[in-house]
Amino acid sequence: MPRTLLVIDDDHDIREVAKTSLELVGGFRVIVAESGQRGVAIAHDSRPDAIILDLMMPDLDGRRTLAELKRAEETASIPVIMLTAKVQADRQELMGRGAAGVLVKPFDPMLLSDQVCEILGWVPLEKDQP
Amino acid sequence: MNLRQCINADRRPSRTSSVRLKHPRSGFIINLMIGRIRIWIVAASVVSLVALAAVSWLSYRNTRELIAANQRLAQAHKLIEDLAALHGLLDDAESGCRDYALSGRMQSLKPYEAALAELDVSIQMLRGDLAASPSRSRQFQELEPVISARLAAMKELVQTRTASGSAAALQVLRSDRSKRLTDEMRQRISAMQIDEHNDLLERERDSRERAQSTIRAVGITCLLGIALLLTASLVIYRLNLQSESDHIELQNAERIQRAILNSAAYGMISTDRTGLVLTVNEAAERWLQYKSAELTGRSIAKLHDPAELQSRGAQLTRAMGMPVAGDHHALVTKARHGVADEFECTYVRKDGTRFPVSLSVTALRSGASDLSGYLMIATDLSEQRAVEKMKDEFVSVVSHELRTPLTSIKGALGLLVGGVTGPLPPKAGEMAQIALSNSDRLSRLVDDILDLQRIESGRLTMDKQLCDVAALMKESTESVRLLADGEGVTISVSPSAASINADHQRIVQALVNLLGNAIKFSPRGGRIEFAADCTGRSVVFRVEDSGRGIPDEKLETIFERFQQVDASDAREKGGTGLGLAIVRSIIQQHAGRVWAESELGKGSTFYVQLPLFQSESPTTD
Repeated sequence: MPRTLLVIDDDHDIREVAKTSLELVGGFRVIVAESGQRGVAIAHDSRPDAIILDLMMPDLDGRRTLAELKRAEETASIPVIMLTAKVQADRQELMGRGAAGVLVKPFDPMLLSDQVCEILGWVPLEKDQP
Repeated sequence: MNLRQCINADRRPSRTSSVRLKHPRSGFIINLMIGRIRIWIVAASVVSLVALAAVSWLSYRNTRELIAANQRLAQAHKLIEDLAALHGLLDDAESGCRDYALSGRMQSLKPYEAALAELDVSIQMLRGDLAASPSRSRQFQELEPVISARLAAMKELVQTRTASGSAAALQVLRSDRSKRLTDEMRQRISAMQIDEHNDLLERERDSRERAQSTIRAVGITCLLGIALLLTASLVIYRLNLQSESDHIELQNAERIQRAILNSAAYGMISTDRTGLVLTVNEAAERWLQYKSAELTGRSIAKLHDPAELQSRGAQLTRAMGMPVAGDHHALVTKARHGVADEFECTYVRKDGTRFPVSLSVTALRSGASDLSGYLMIATDLSEQRAVEKMKDEFVSVVSHELRTPLTSIKGALGLLVGGVTGPLPPKAGEMAQIALSNSDRLSRLVDDILDLQRIESGRLTMDKQLCDVAALMKESTESVRLLADGEGVTISVSPSAASINADHQRIVQALVNLLGNAIKFSPRGGRIEFAADCTGRSVVFRVEDSGRGIPDEKLETIFERFQQVDASDAREKGGTGLGLAIVRSIIQQHAGRVWAESELGKGSTFYVQLPLFQSESPTTD
């Protein structure tokens, strides 16, 4: 049974690329959300194994979404990996807020799954896809 | 040339951070004037004193001689009178004596006896008169025996008349001896009177001459004094004219100076040596919202953030190895020690609001080493900071807006090229690979622009810690291993056992940039020497390749942004044109330097020099 990842990003294209990469390269089951609010709701309902969360989003941004996820008992234990376009993203600050790790945009779609596994301490699935 | 450059240009020849306060020309003129006045005053005083002393001495001497001459004249007159009196007494005695000899009357002897009675007193008086005149005294000494002999003859005549009668007396009278003695006596007295009279005339002439000479001397002195007075008045008048002209010139210079100070776009405050404000220009008044009078006499520290002064005092205490108090000393200590000092700090306005300034502090010296105060020239950095903040925000937004589509492009192309979405026709695969490598290049360019902007603006703080040189080299080499293998280039590493105080990640970034360049420009099968050597208090990293080399004229410019040896390098070698600029910025942030040496066609060597770690050394931030 593949692990389920929730990707929360306001950019449709990035959601698609990430979903494709994680599904086809990493073998994960991926669900996506286009906003922080929606992401929190899906996380609450679907309880994914991990969440990849964009930092800069309109309305509920990455930091506040992370806080929401960590505040709710049902989602508090789900590891969250922050995705940021900022070179100088304050890794320590985000880790201090409860993030499991930080990924930087633009990411390499062929390596994204490995990076996620490395951060979360998961063993990558055997790639049976081309 | 702006005002600060003008001030620095003034300061340069002295090779110290000091400034002379006086207007150079006016100072010279004033000194010259004072010198000339002094010389004239001293000369006039000396001449006047000498003339006065000479006249006084001459008058004193002439007056004394006049007094003495008058005394001698009086004595001469008395002597002449006394000689006449003696002559008279002797004549009286002789007449009385003759009458008695001829008549035999006792009554006739009275004049003789009376003359004899006064004669002794008269002779005594004459002796007294003659004491001061040796020649007259000698004449009188010769006269006295004659007088005595004559008196003895008179006495003999009287005795002969009394004892032997008139006939005997007549015989004595007729004798030649009496007549001879009388003639000699009269002759001598007369000679004395004539000599004394002649002396008298001579003394009177002498006195007249002395009186005339005194009048002449006084006259000459008066003329000399008048001439001196006129000359001195003329000189003072001319100096006064010169002084007025210099004063006007000085006032004009001061007006110009004041106008420059007040129209300058710098806040200028001068203080005395204890940090009390002396003058404030209009820009500083406007910025700080104080009137000049409100600041004059107050400590300069009042205009600064107290916490900032404390912090700077502590920092200088460490750096200079001497206690520096966290008050105005924190602002002036470096300048006082002759070190040009320019730093950024915060000014506090009258209403308590703050603004950032760049402050240049200069010691003012009135002589070679006499410290008279300080000049503080401030540049308002508020606008610059606002622009920097705006630029920062702009770059940050642009960065995000560029990265978002780049992520999609790179991701999509990566999936296509990686074959995740299925195999592509060969030509399509090739095109997708081109698109992917260029999206990679664009991604690196965005990264480099952001890195450079952050490093140069000081926003990126260097997280310095103790770093092992060998570890830095190993990590850098590992980072480029894949690239080197891909290009068929070998890297020979010669590490050094040393430590530096540096930001590990940033130094690795700099070394990776240099190694990456060396790999890109090395021929396939080429070899790169990557070594570190300790020299004195620093370590020098060396990256030597066997590439095409760099022309001499480009050895400096290659460290500028987008400056590459060949314009096509960015396209062909996949570089961004910012790698070496980033290397230089990172190394400069570590108080080090980077340079290149090269021989065309044989290769290039890049050097990075960084200070070795020293446990007691202060941080260089």
